Amino acid sequence: MMWRDLRLAVLVLLCAAVKSNSELKGSSPPGKPVLLSCRSPEKETFTCWWQPGSDGGLPTTYKLYYERERLEGVHECPDYRSAGSNSCFFNKSHTSIWVDYYLTVVASNALGNATSDVFKMDVMQIMKPNVPENVTLLVVETEDSPYLNIRWEHPRNTDTESGWVTIKYELRVKQENNNKWKAYMSGTQTHFSLYSITPGVVYTVQVRCRLDHGSWSDWTNSTHAKVPNHVQNEISFWILVATLSAIPFMAAMCILVVKRENVKQCVLPPVPGPKIRGVDFHLLMSGQYEDTTNTLIINQNFPLMVGWKNQMEEYLIVTENGIGPPLDASNCQKRKKSLIIPAGFCSDWEIECKSTHIQNDCAGGTKNETGNFPKNNKSLSGESLSNAEPSKLQKQQSLGQNLMNTEATEPSPLNQENDVKLFTNSDYVDIRKHVEKTQEVNVKQVDYSRVEEVNGDNVLILNNKNLPFNSYMDFQRQEEKLSEDYSRVKEVDSNNVVVLQRQDVSADTKTPHATGAHKMGVCTELINSGYVDTIPASPLM
Amino acid sequence: MPGSIGPVSVVWVVLVYLLFCSRLLGVGAAPICTNAQAGCHALSLANLFDRVIQHSARMHGISNDLHSEFYFLPSKNQIGRVSRNCHTSNIFTPNGKENAQRMAREELTEVILKLLVAWRDPLWHFQQSIAHHHDFNNFSTNKALEMSDMVHELRKGVEKVAEKMQMMGIISNSVSSLASPEALLPSDSAEWRLMKDYDLLYCFRRDSNKVQNYLKILKCRIVPEHGC
Repeated sequence: MMWRDLRLAVLVLLCAAVKSNSELKGSSPPGKPVLLSCRSPEKETFTCWWQPGSDGGLPTTYKLYYERERLEGVHECPDYRSAGSNSCFFNKSHTSIWVDYYLTVVASNALGNATSDVFKMDVMQIMKPNVPENVTLLVVETEDSPYLNIRWEHPRNTDTESGWVTIKYELRVKQENNNKWKAYMSGTQTHFSLYSITPGVVYTVQVRCRLDHGSWSDWTNSTHAKVPNHVQNEISFWILVATLSAIPFMAAMCILVVKRENVKQCVLPPVPGPKIRGVDFHLLMSGQYEDTTNTLIINQNFPLMVGWKNQMEEYLIVTENGIGPPLDASNCQKRKKSLIIPAGFCSDWEIECKSTHIQNDCAGGTKNETGNFPKNNKSLSGESLSNAEPSKLQKQQSLGQNLMNTEATEPSPLNQENDVKLFTNSDYVDIRKHVEKTQEVNVKQVDYSRVEEVNGDNVLILNNKNLPFNSYMDFQRQEEKLSEDYSRVKEVDSNNVVVLQRQDVSADTKTPHATGAHKMGVCTELINSGYVDTIPASPLM
Repeated sequence: MPGSIGPVSVVWVVLVYLLFCSRLLGVGAAPICTNAQAGCHALSLANLFDRVIQHSARMHGISNDLHSEFYFLPSKNQIGRVSRNCHTSNIFTPNGKENAQRMAREELTEVILKLLVAWRDPLWHFQQSIAHHHDFNNFSTNKALEMSDMVHELRKGVEKVAEKMQMMGIISNSVSSLASPEALLPSDSAEWRLMKDYDLLYCFRRDSNKVQNYLKILKCRIVPEHGC
């Protein structure tokens, strides 16, 4: 039983093998081959390739036959091996340009043949060169900017010297990061320069070429080159420049800071203040203004604004024509400030008196006026008076001193009786004496009648008693002796006449004496003279 | 003073006259030498060759374009043994580099000239037929016209080169085409009329390539310094 099964199995297997074997052998004629392409790399030789069809299971041979224009007969491929399998290589002797080739490939095996289609070609049309060789990439660093220098050589087997072929080149460049190629035509040159490259970038270059008007070759393998980075050099250069320039800059700043005063004076010079020629500003500030007043008010016709002083001062008024200067209280009030009048401005006596008057009259500051007096006295002493007595002069001096004394002691309320007199050009000294506070004034009187009181403008009430020369006028005493020593005024008749009353001898224990005659005499005298005068006319005139 | 003006003015007139005369005589700077002028040394031979080669390259380019435009079927895949006979087939032309290099300069020059002469009439007629056909656009018509003109000019240029070479003693005076261009024409010159337009373009494309190549070989053989 087992043997039968075994034989059956073997038989089945054999049958299958035979069957398959017959199928594999196929015994069919070969399939039709196909001519793919032909190519001439240098216009002197060319190669053709075909693709074989199925071989029909039998060893198949392939043969290429060609016919050519201007050549009789059918010829077979001279070289099947040089270009590889399924190829035919035509060497120089078998290559003709500008003639048509008609190619066919025949595949044959034991069972049959197969012939490909006719392939017509002209060498002129199938030119495709090999790739260029030895592509070199150099970065040339010049002073201004680096550039890329690309060099290559012609493909190996092409002849460029005889002029048989003209090779034209093309190259393409791309940067490392970028995928985009940039192409340049190089013509027939085997070198190329690429400018305006980016530093620090790797460049990739490929080259290809073509013959006459044929097809382009393949691209060469990529060649790389890196452009060195110039930025660092520049940075170090600029750091050096900055450091070197910082040193003089710092030095200049230090100098400026140290000498800032001088710089300030140079840049912002002080603006000169106003100056008056001949006037020293500092002297003025310090208070010694005598010279300044001399220079300031020289030759100017100011109205005489005499500084007035403490009106406490007594002063005597002396006028020639009997028309005294109007007593204008308003003027007094107006002139609050004291004005210093130089000695040479007016004539002699008046000035002194003026100053004293004014200072007396108006209330106000008397601060600066104490200094006047020594000067006034001085100027007085240096002056010459045509009609004045030395006694008068002395009187003035004493008056001045008295005034000074009094002034220092009391403030002076404004009194209308203290008049300000404006003199312009009179020759006389006005000495006015005020009675109100005459208790403190001690006046030396020589040959004077005692004044009892002043009433009104030009009225003086005189005492006709002869007082001893050296006696002071003691007003307090006088008041006590009023009844004893004085005549009473009977009446006042017009401006110039005072009528005295005969005085009865009173029951006064004091020495009675006949005063009437004296009085009458005085009165007569007075009347005759025409005005009442404190001083007897004779010494003056 | 007035006495000196007379001779001075005469001198000026003479100078001006001489200047004009020298210009008219063309001493030194005339760019184109007219035919049969012996003393013309305006351009160097290398320069002439370069010009002529450029011209022929352009002519071949135009013929290439026209050929590819003219027929939609690419010539590679053309089925059948269609052998065309160009009317210039009987002109013996070297078909390889060695053949061309072996050929004498005079022969090569003569071949070039023969080719150029042979194509003058066919191209003119071709251009005429294209202009009447209305199948082709203006671009093609312009190219055909340009092509026929270029053949004419190229022939003149090559003749100039040959003259110069003969003058310089590079080639002998055996170039017959210069004497009588009509002698170059093939005997049965009416062959080209039978050719179809496509074949005509095909043939001309080939021949223009031959001319360009032969000129290059001549140049690199005679004046190899620039661009070989």
